[in-house]
Amino acid sequence: MSEPEKQNNENPLDIDGSSFNSEMYLECLMKCASLRQVMDKEAEVITQSQSLQSEMQTLVYENYNKFISATETVRKMRSDFQIMQEEMNKLSENINKITTFSSNISESLKDSGNNVNRLCSTRQLLDKLQFLFLLPTQLNKAIQEGRYTDAVHDYTHAQKVLQKYGDQPSFQSIQTECSDIIYGLKKSLRERLLSPETTASELAESVGLLRQLQESDSSLKDIFLSCAESRLEQHLNLLASMVDTSDILEWVEKCNGLILADLGIVISCYHDIFQDSERIGIPEFADKVMTQVFDLFEAVIRRPENVGTDILIRGLDKFFRKFQALSEIICSDGASNKALFVVTQCIKHKATMQHQIIQVQFKENLMKVRQSLASKGTENADLKDILNALQVYLMQKIQASLLDLMAFLQNNLSFGLKPWCANAVADGCWIVVSETLINISDMIKKLSVIQTSNNIPFELLLILAKLCLEMQENGVTILQNHLTKLLEEAAPGLSVEKKDANTVMVNLSTAAQSALDSEVVFIGQTAAQMLRVSVLARDWLRAPEPRGPRAVCRRVVETLASADSAASQLFPTSFKPSSDSSRRTIWSRAPSSFSPINRLFSERIEVFSPAGADRAALSNGALKVALKALVECVRLRTFSRHGLQQLQVDVHFLQQRLSCMGNDERLLNALLEDALSSAQLRCVDPQLMEPSIVDIICERG
Amino acid sequence: MEEGNSIIYGLEHQTRALSPQYESDAIRFLIGTQSLKPQANQVHVVELEEDTGALHTKVYKHDIGEIWHLRCSPHDAATLMTTHNSYDPENSQCSMGVSIYKLPTLDVIPKDVDELSTMQSQNAEDMELLTTINPEKPEEEIRCSEWHPTDTNCVCIVMDGSVSVRDITTTQGYNITPEGRTRLKFSGGKWSPQAAHQFAVLQDTHIKCFDTRADCKAVWGIDNAHRQLARDLDFNPNRQFQLATAGDDAALNIWDYRNPKEPIFSRTDHSHWVWTVRYNTYHEQLLVTGSSDGRALLTAAASICDTDDDKKLSQVLEDGVLQSYEQHEDSVYCVEWSTAEPWTFASLSYDARLVLSRVPRHFKYKILL
Repeated sequence: MSEPEKQNNENPLDIDGSSFNSEMYLECLMKCASLRQVMDKEAEVITQSQSLQSEMQTLVYENYNKFISATETVRKMRSDFQIMQEEMNKLSENINKITTFSSNISESLKDSGNNVNRLCSTRQLLDKLQFLFLLPTQLNKAIQEGRYTDAVHDYTHAQKVLQKYGDQPSFQSIQTECSDIIYGLKKSLRERLLSPETTASELAESVGLLRQLQESDSSLKDIFLSCAESRLEQHLNLLASMVDTSDILEWVEKCNGLILADLGIVISCYHDIFQDSERIGIPEFADKVMTQVFDLFEAVIRRPENVGTDILIRGLDKFFRKFQALSEIICSDGASNKALFVVTQCIKHKATMQHQIIQVQFKENLMKVRQSLASKGTENADLKDILNALQVYLMQKIQASLLDLMAFLQNNLSFGLKPWCANAVADGCWIVVSETLINISDMIKKLSVIQTSNNIPFELLLILAKLCLEMQENGVTILQNHLTKLLEEAAPGLSVEKKDANTVMVNLSTAAQSALDSEVVFIGQTAAQMLRVSVLARDWLRAPEPRGPRAVCRRVVETLASADSAASQLFPTSFKPSSDSSRRTIWSRAPSSFSPINRLFSERIEVFSPAGADRAALSNGALKVALKALVECVRLRTFSRHGLQQLQVDVHFLQQRLSCMGNDERLLNALLEDALSSAQLRCVDPQLMEPSIVDIICERG
Repeated sequence: MEEGNSIIYGLEHQTRALSPQYESDAIRFLIGTQSLKPQANQVHVVELEEDTGALHTKVYKHDIGEIWHLRCSPHDAATLMTTHNSYDPENSQCSMGVSIYKLPTLDVIPKDVDELSTMQSQNAEDMELLTTINPEKPEEEIRCSEWHPTDTNCVCIVMDGSVSVRDITTTQGYNITPEGRTRLKFSGGKWSPQAAHQFAVLQDTHIKCFDTRADCKAVWGIDNAHRQLARDLDFNPNRQFQLATAGDDAALNIWDYRNPKEPIFSRTDHSHWVWTVRYNTYHEQLLVTGSSDGRALLTAAASICDTDDDKKLSQVLEDGVLQSYEQHEDSVYCVEWSTAEPWTFASLSYDARLVLSRVPRHFKYKILL
C-alpha cells in the first residue's frame, strides 16, 4: 500500500476513522473554521452522539432477549436426553441375549452334519471301487464281443486311479490283470493291422484305439502308413493285372471300389487321428498312389478295346467323379489338377486317335483309287466322281469325329459343362481338323516327290491337287463353321477362341502346288523322254523321204492329250483357244534369222516353273517340258535333207495337234519354231519341203 | 569391267565349246565354233585386258570340222585339244575325231599399231596340227576328251560306249569298256585331280569312276546322281572326295562320293536342264552353272566348305544363288572360270555369245575379309 493512502486511512482528522485524534481535530477545527462553523459543528456532533447513544441501547436490549430464550431451550434438551439413554441401554441388553442363544444352537448341530458328509464320500469311493473290481471282467466281455472301443474307453478311465493307488495290494492285482488284458488287446489290434483281410475302416479304428492306448505316435504313423501302402499296393497290382483283361468300365468300377475308396478312408482317418501332428506324410503318399493310378488309367485308355467313345466317357466320368470327391478329402490341389489333366489328356488322346484313324483310312482309300485307276486305264475313269468320293469321305469322317468328341460335353457328365473341358474339346476338335489336313498334305507332298521308282498315276496327282485346293477353298471353312456350331450346341454361352487356320491353308496349298508341279513334270518328262529317245536313236543322216509324222509324235500327242482331258475334268477352263488360228503353219525362217535379235522380242520361256491350277496352264507346263527337250535334242544331232524334212513334218503335226491344248499358242509356236530352226542349223543340206506338201503328208499320216 | 556390267562378245556361228587357257597370266578363253558348213569353223582366242576392260581376240582356222568340245592343255598354254565332227558328203556320213593343235603365238593384244593393222588385215590364222586321233569305228560318236592332270602326253577320250586312254605322241592306247549297263551311253567325263589315275564318267543318270590302269571295274560310283540325265561334273579342286554334278532335273548336286546315297548339297534354281557346272579354282564355295534356261547362275555352297578355323564361311555367305546372269538369249552350254583371275568367269551360249562376268564385289569382299 502506498504511503499516501496509508496516511489517508489513518487520517487522524477523519471522525469515523479508527485513528481519530480528537485534540488534533479540535485544534484543526479551531484553526480553520469560523466561529459560526464551530458552533454548527458542535451542534452537529451533539446530535450525532445522541443518536448513537440511543441505537446502542436498542441493540443491547435485543441481545439480551435472545440470550434468555437460548438458555431456556438448552434446559429443555437436557431433560429429553435422559429418556433416550435409558432406552438404548435396554436394546443392547436384548441383543446380547440373542447372541448367546444362537451360539448355543450351532454348537448342538455340528456333530450330525459331519456324519452326513462322511457318508457321501464313502458312497462315491465304494462306487469307484466296484467299477475297478469289475473292470477286468468288463474288459474281457467287451473284447470278446468285439467292442474294442468300449474296452479302451473303460480302461483309460480306470487307469488314472489304478496308477494312483497302484501300491495297494488289492489294486495291484486288478491293475496287473487289466494290463494283461489290455496288452492282449493291443496285440490283437496290431495283428488286425497287419492282417490283409482288414478293411481300411477297421484299420483306421485299430490305429485310433492304439493311439488312445498311448502307443507312440511316430511308430504308429509308420505302421499305419506302411499297412495302408501295402494294401494299396496289392490293389494296384490287381488293377495293373486287370488292365489287359477288362474293359474300362469294369476297371474303373474296381478302381473306385478298391483303391480310391480305401485311399479316401485312409486319408480321412489319418487326418482325424494325427490331427495335430504335422501332415507332411500323407499328401506325398497319396500323390504317389494317385500317380500310379493315373498311369494305370492312361494305360487303360490307350488300350485299343477302349476306343469306343461312349464307354470311354462313361468310364472317365466315374473315375473323375470319384476323384473329385477324393481330392476334396485330401485337400490337395495337385490331385484335382491331376484329375483335370487326365480328362484333358483323355480328350487329346481321343482326338489323336481320331485323326490317325482318318489318315489310315484315307490312305487305304487312296490305295484303292490308285489300283482302280491303274486297272481301269485312263480313258473311262471319271475323275470328278473319284474326287467327290474322296472329298465327301474325308469331310464326313472329320465331321463324325468332331461329333464324337462332343460327347465329352454332355450335361450329365461330371466334367461336362466345365469351361476347361469345353476348351479341351475345342482344342481336340481343332487337332482333328488341322492334323488330319496337315498330315494328308504331307502325304500328298511325299507322293509328289518325283522318284523314278514310284509310279503314281498322274490322274491321282490331279485328284489330290484338286482335293487340296477344294479343302483350302471351302473345306476348312466348312469344318470350322461346323465345329463352331457343334460347340455352341454342346456348350452354349461358351466362348472359344477361333483357331488360326493359316498353317493348314499353307500346307494345303503347298501340297496342291507340289502335286500339280509333279503332274506337269511327270507328263512333260514322259513326252520329253519319248522325243529324246526317238531323236537321239534315229540316224537322221540316212533318213528316207518323209511319208508321214513319225509314230512317236502320235504317242506324244496321245500322252499330252490324255493328261489334258484328265485335267479338263477337274480343272475346267472357261477360256478356249480359238480354233481358226490353230491351223496356222510355221513358215520356217531362214537360218540367218536365228539370231539374238529375234529372241529379244520373245519372252524367256521358263520350262520348269510352278504350274497353275488350271487346265490350260497344266497343259502349257507339260508342253514346255516336252518341246524344250525336243529342241535341245535336235541340237545334238546332224540332219540330212530328208531328216530335216521329216522333222518338219513332225513339227507341223505336233503343231496341228497340240494347238488345241493349253492357251498359249505363242509359246507352242516359239518352241516348235526353235526346234525346226535348230534342225536347219544342224542340217548339211538345209532345204525345207513345200508347206502344202507337208500339209498333205500330215493329213495322210 | 564393273559389277553387273558384263562384257559380251559375239561370234558368227553356233558355239558349244569353251576352255580357259591354263598356265597363263592373262584372262584368256578359247572358243570353238560349230557349223556344218565346210571350212567355216574357227577357234577364237579372247583376252580381257583387265586394266582397260577392253576385249581382244585372235581367230584361228579350224577346217577339220565343227568343234563339239575344246580343252586347253594344263601343261602348255599354247596347246589345245578339240573334239570335232565333220560331214563327208560322199558317203553321207559324219565322222568324229580328236585333234591336238599348237597356237603359233600366245599374244592376243597387239603391241603396236602396225601389228594391229596386220592382225586386222589377216582374217584367220593357221594353227599347227600336232596329231589327230580317230576312233576305231568311224561312226563312233566322241563326247569329249580330257587332258591328264599330270601326264603331259596322256588324254582320255569319252565315246558313246567306251572310254579310251591314249598317248598323244603315238596315238596308241587302250579302251575301257564298262561292265554291266552297257546299254547306257556315256555323256562325258573328267579326270579326278586327286587320284591321278581315276577317271569319272557320266553314264545316263549315274556317275562311275574307273581306275585307268586297272580293269573295267568301277572304283566308286554314284547311282542316280540325278533323276534325269547327268550332264556334267566337276571335282572340288581343294577338297578330296567332293564333286559337283549337274543334270536334266535342273539340279546342282554336290557329293561326297564316299557316301553316294545322298548329296551333301542340292539346289534346283535353274528352270531347265543344267549343262555345265564349275568350281571356282580358288574359292571352292563358289560354283557357276549354265543351263538351257539361258542363264548362268553363281551359287554359294558355303555351308559345306566350313573349315575348323574361327572364321566360319557359312556365317558370312548364305547358301544359294548369289547372282543370276541373264545376258544370254539362248541355252548356255559352257561356263568356265578364268585361271588367272579368281573372280572372273565366261559363259557361252548356243547363239554364239560369250559373256565375261564377275563375282559381285560385295560377295568378293565377304569372302576375302
